[in-house]
Amino acid sequence: MAEERKSMIKIKPKKFKVGDIVKVDFIVIHPMDTGLSKDKKTGKIKPAHYIDNVTFSFDGKPFTTLKTWETVSTNPYFSVNFKVPGKGKITVDYTDNTGEKNSKSKKVKPKG
Amino acid sequence: MKRRSFVQGMLLTSAVVATPVLLNAEEKKAKKKGPNDMDFATALSTITGGKEAKDSDKIKLTVPEIAENGAVVPVKVEVDHPMEEGNFVKAIHILNTKNGNARCVDVMLTPLNAKGYFATRVKLGGTQEVVSLVELSDGSFLKAAKSVKVTIGGCG
Repeated sequence: MAEERKSMIKIKPKKFKVGDIVKVDFIVIHPMDTGLSKDKKTGKIKPAHYIDNVTFSFDGKPFTTLKTWETVSTNPYFSVNFKVPGKGKITVDYTDNTGEKNSKSKKVKPKG
Repeated sequence: MKRRSFVQGMLLTSAVVATPVLLNAEEKKAKKKGPNDMDFATALSTITGGKEAKDSDKIKLTVPEIAENGAVVPVKVEVDHPMEEGNFVKAIHILNTKNGNARCVDVMLTPLNAKGYFATRVKLGGTQEVVSLVELSDGSFLKAAKSVKVTIGGCG
């Protein structure tokens, strides 16, 4: 919404065919504050700020949904498997507890 | 004039003295409780709904034996189970036993995933067990646990 976050989708291996099982990795730069730690400069407690919902979808069809809490590490990394049905686009939508919404997508181009 | 300034001074100092006390009280409250604290037993029963989770060797849970940094502990779960329509791994839950919030991630899978696999990184506040709870599409639950030795806690 307000803040553009750096994120990345990686598909492993790089070369794949239709019907192959690939690994879809998603990484996003996010503080994931627990609401317990103090800010070192001001000495005040930082409010909780974490990603709570992540949806992996292929051409608008969701195939994996995650519900996460603040116990996930800073700059979270999620990895799932996916069977490639053909050409299309993988989109990852994520929201955090402050209502921030973002998404990232990557084209899927199977060869052969 | 003297009296006025004296009164004003008094008010100011009292305000200065009062605010830190209030702040301290708020901090103590916040330290005791995180935003969504839940202990392990409650988290387990809310997910399973009272059903028994069996220990299973079908689940391969990969965590480091000793984690030097508790803030970044890689967790990998692989489930040896078919992923077909009507018989698949419905969900993978990653839990911990001693953090304030025992829940880490709930992953809802579909047959499109083709394999029961999930990997992420979690924070651990101290030496404890990481538990992976797997829900199959027929409603049964499987469980696997492994302990992780944490040198420096990650939930500061």
